[in-house]
Amino acid sequence: MAAHRHADGPPAAEALRACARDVVDVAEGIREVSARTSSVLFAPALTAAARRHPRTGCAARWALLRALTDKQGLGGSAVVAPDGMGRLLGAAGQLLGRQSLAALVAVTSLRLRIAALLLDHPEFAHDPGMRRLTDAVGADDEAAVRALRALFEDPDAQRALCGLAPVLTELLTVRGLLAEDPGDDEAAWALAAGHGLTAGPGNGIGPSRPRARDRTEQAPQAVEPTAREARGLAAEGSLLGFLRNIDALSADGRLLVQEVRGPDGVLRYVVQAPGTAPGRPRDDCAQDFAGAWRNLFMADSPYTRAVLKAVRDHGIPRGADLALIGHGEGGIALLNLARDDEFCRAYRVTHVVAVGAPLDGGRPADPRTWVAGVTNRHDIVPVLDGRGTGTAGTPHPNRYEVDYTGPTREFPLCHLLSGYLEHLETVIPQARVDIDRALTPYRGRVERSRVYRLGDRARPPEGHPFLTVPTTGLVTSVGPVDVPVRYYDSSAVHLCYPVDPDVARTLLPDVAWLVPTRFGRRALAVLSLYEHRCTTLGPYTELALSVPVDDLWRPHARDIAADLLRRADLRRTGRYVVSLAVGSREARAVAEEVWAQPAVEASADVRVEGRELRARAPDMGLAVEGRPGPGVRCPEADWVLYGRRGDSTVRTLVRARGQPHAHARPRVRLRLDGAQGPLARQLQILELDAVRPAFALTNARFMAHRSAGTALPR
Amino acid sequence: MATESVPTAPELLAYVTDLRADADRMDGYARRLRGAAGTLDGCAGTPGWSGAALERQAAACATAAARLRAAAAALLAHAGRRPPR
Repeated sequence: MAAHRHADGPPAAEALRACARDVVDVAEGIREVSARTSSVLFAPALTAAARRHPRTGCAARWALLRALTDKQGLGGSAVVAPDGMGRLLGAAGQLLGRQSLAALVAVTSLRLRIAALLLDHPEFAHDPGMRRLTDAVGADDEAAVRALRALFEDPDAQRALCGLAPVLTELLTVRGLLAEDPGDDEAAWALAAGHGLTAGPGNGIGPSRPRARDRTEQAPQAVEPTAREARGLAAEGSLLGFLRNIDALSADGRLLVQEVRGPDGVLRYVVQAPGTAPGRPRDDCAQDFAGAWRNLFMADSPYTRAVLKAVRDHGIPRGADLALIGHGEGGIALLNLARDDEFCRAYRVTHVVAVGAPLDGGRPADPRTWVAGVTNRHDIVPVLDGRGTGTAGTPHPNRYEVDYTGPTREFPLCHLLSGYLEHLETVIPQARVDIDRALTPYRGRVERSRVYRLGDRARPPEGHPFLTVPTTGLVTSVGPVDVPVRYYDSSAVHLCYPVDPDVARTLLPDVAWLVPTRFGRRALAVLSLYEHRCTTLGPYTELALSVPVDDLWRPHARDIAADLLRRADLRRTGRYVVSLAVGSREARAVAEEVWAQPAVEASADVRVEGRELRARAPDMGLAVEGRPGPGVRCPEADWVLYGRRGDSTVRTLVRARGQPHAHARPRVRLRLDGAQGPLARQLQILELDAVRPAFALTNARFMAHRSAGTALPR
Repeated sequence: MATESVPTAPELLAYVTDLRADADRMDGYARRLRGAAGTLDGCAGTPGWSGAALERQAAACATAAARLRAAAAALLAHAGRRPPR
C-alpha cells in the first residue's frame, strides 16, 4: 500500500472506489464459475457416464479438475463442494498454499477500497483495526490471503474489525471467500454483492411472531434514567429534541420511547434509537465482526427485534401513529423495521428519520411512510455498502434526503451525533426546518418517556467482571462523564529513567511534601505511552511524564518497597503526573477537571503491540522508537496518580488487568526535535533523550479503570 | 454418432454449454480487470501495485477461460460428440 503513482488525472479516490466495486463483482462471478464447474465435476450424470466409458470419462474429469486447480487459472482451492471429495480437494489446495482466483481478486478489491478510504481519510490509518488490516493485505496477493484468513480467525481482532465500517463490504466478501465451508457466508456474500438481506413477505418480524431465539438474544429492559438525564429529555417534540435525547442516552445503548400529544390532540409515539460511537464500549459487543454486521443489515436483526420488543413492551396500541428516529446503527434498525409488512400492519409508521445511516434503495412497507435521511459526505458509516450516500433532492414525495459536506472531515468526529446536531443548526438549518415541518404531528408536549436498555442476556457485559463497577456521573466542561473512567482495550509502555533527584524536584509543585522517591541516589522519571482503543471517553492516545513521590505525610525510605506489596488503594506513595498530552478534548477535560493533571491536547500515533515500539507526536517534536527486547511477566501494574488543584493534592487510583512484562535496559530511544509544548520541554529538562531507560513495563492489551480524583488536604 | 451413453448425453451436453458460457464469462472478467487497470493507470494517487495485480488476475481469468473450453471439449467427446474444430 506504500507506493503511489503520481500522475495527472482525475481524483483517484472515486476511481478506486468504482474499480473496487467492479472488481468485487468480478470476484463474485469467478466464485460462481468455480462453483458451477465443481458441480459438473461431481455431477452424478458424469460419474455414471464415466463408469460406462472410463477412457473419455476420465479425460473429461481430468480436464475439469485441471480447470479448477490450475494455479495460473481458477486456483488451487477453487474446488467448491460442501462435502466429500470436493471439499477435500479444496482443503488440499489451501494446504498447499494455493489460493482461489476469486479470493485473490476479492483481496484486490479490498486493497483498492482501503487505498480509496485512506486517500479521503488518512486519519483512518491510525485506527487499530485498519492497521491490522493494512498489515495483513500489505504483502503480495497469496500472502495477503493467508494473513487475512489468520486475521479473521483471531478472536482478539474482532473488536478492531468491527470498527471498519467503510471497508466492511469488501471484508465480508473476502471473509466469505476464505470460509472453509462455502455455505457459511452466503449471507455475507449477498450483502457484499449488494443483494440486500430482507426477511421477505413470508418471514416477517411482526409482533405476533415470537421465535425460539427470543430466549437468548437481546431483550430490552425498561430502566430509569438518572435524575439529570430525565431533566435533559425533550419536553416538546422536535427533531433536535429527539436527536439530543438519543445523544444523551447513547453512551450505554439505551433507546427511548416517548408519547407526544400532537397539536391535534392525538397521542402519538416516537421511538428513538442510538447508534454506537466508535471506540466506546457496547453491551451488545459482537463476538464476530461479520456476524454482527450481517445481523445489523438483516431485517430480522437482533437490534431490530430488540426495538420491536421495546415497542411491544411499551404497550403502544395497534394502529397508533409512530415516528422512528435513529442515528447510525439505530437508523438502520428502524429502517429495517419500517420495511416489515407485519409491523406496518400493526402500527402506522408515519415517519422515519435516519441520521448518519445508509438510506439505501429499500422502501418502507407502507408507501405513505415519510422517510428522511441526513448524511455528512465525510461520514464513512453511511457508505457502508460502497455505493455512496443518497443524493440530495431525490424527487420522491415521501422521501427527503440531505447529503451535505460538513466542516468536520475527520473520522470518527464526522459520524458523532453531536456533530450532526451542530450541523443541523449551523450548516443545514433548512433541513432541520423541513424535517420539523414534516414532523408537525409530533411537535407537541411529551406526556411520557420510557427508557429501554438493549442488552444481550446470552453474554456478559463487556469487560465483566473487572469493569462492571458502580459508576457515578461528574459534570465537566465537555458534558457529564461517568467515573471511574473505564478502559476496555488499551496498550501501554512505561519507560523508567533514573534522573537527578534535584532536577526532578524542580518539576514538582513548590510544596515541601511532594518529594521524589529515591532509588539509591537517583529519582525516577516515568514516560508512559498509552493507546486507548476503546474507553468510556472514546478512543485516544496519552503521553504522560510522571515522577514517583513519597508519602505526603510520613515519608519513609521503605515505603516504595512496601507499597509494591500493597493493594493500590492502600498505597501511600504514587506517581505525580508532571505533564500529560492526550489525543482528545474530552480526555483533556477529564484529566484537568477530574484528576487535576496538567494536560494539553496533541495528536500522537502510538503503537505498542508487537516487538517494535513506536510513538510519534509531530506537533510536539517527540518520537520514541525501538525494541523493548525480551521481558518477564510481572504483577499487575496498579497505580496511584497524583495531581494538584489549588492547595490540594488530588489522588487517583488506577486499577489494571492485563499481562504486563518487565524489560531490562530496553533498546528504546526518545528523540526530541524542536520540543514543542510543556511535556517535550520537561523531557528536555530531564535530558531523557540522551539516555536509554533503565527498564520498561509493557502491556500489549489490558483493561483498566481510573477513579475520580480525591482531594487530599496537603 | 450415437453411443450407449445416450440417456445421459443431453445432461452432459447442457454442462458443455454451461462450461462454454462460463469460459466466455471469464474472458469478460479478464477484460473488466484490464479495464480497471487502465482506468487507474491515469489517476493520481493510485497505489503502484494495482496495475500489476489486476493484469496478473486478468491473465489468470484468460487462462481459466482456456481451461474451461478444454474441459468443455473433453466433456463433449465423452458425451459422444466430436469437439468442434
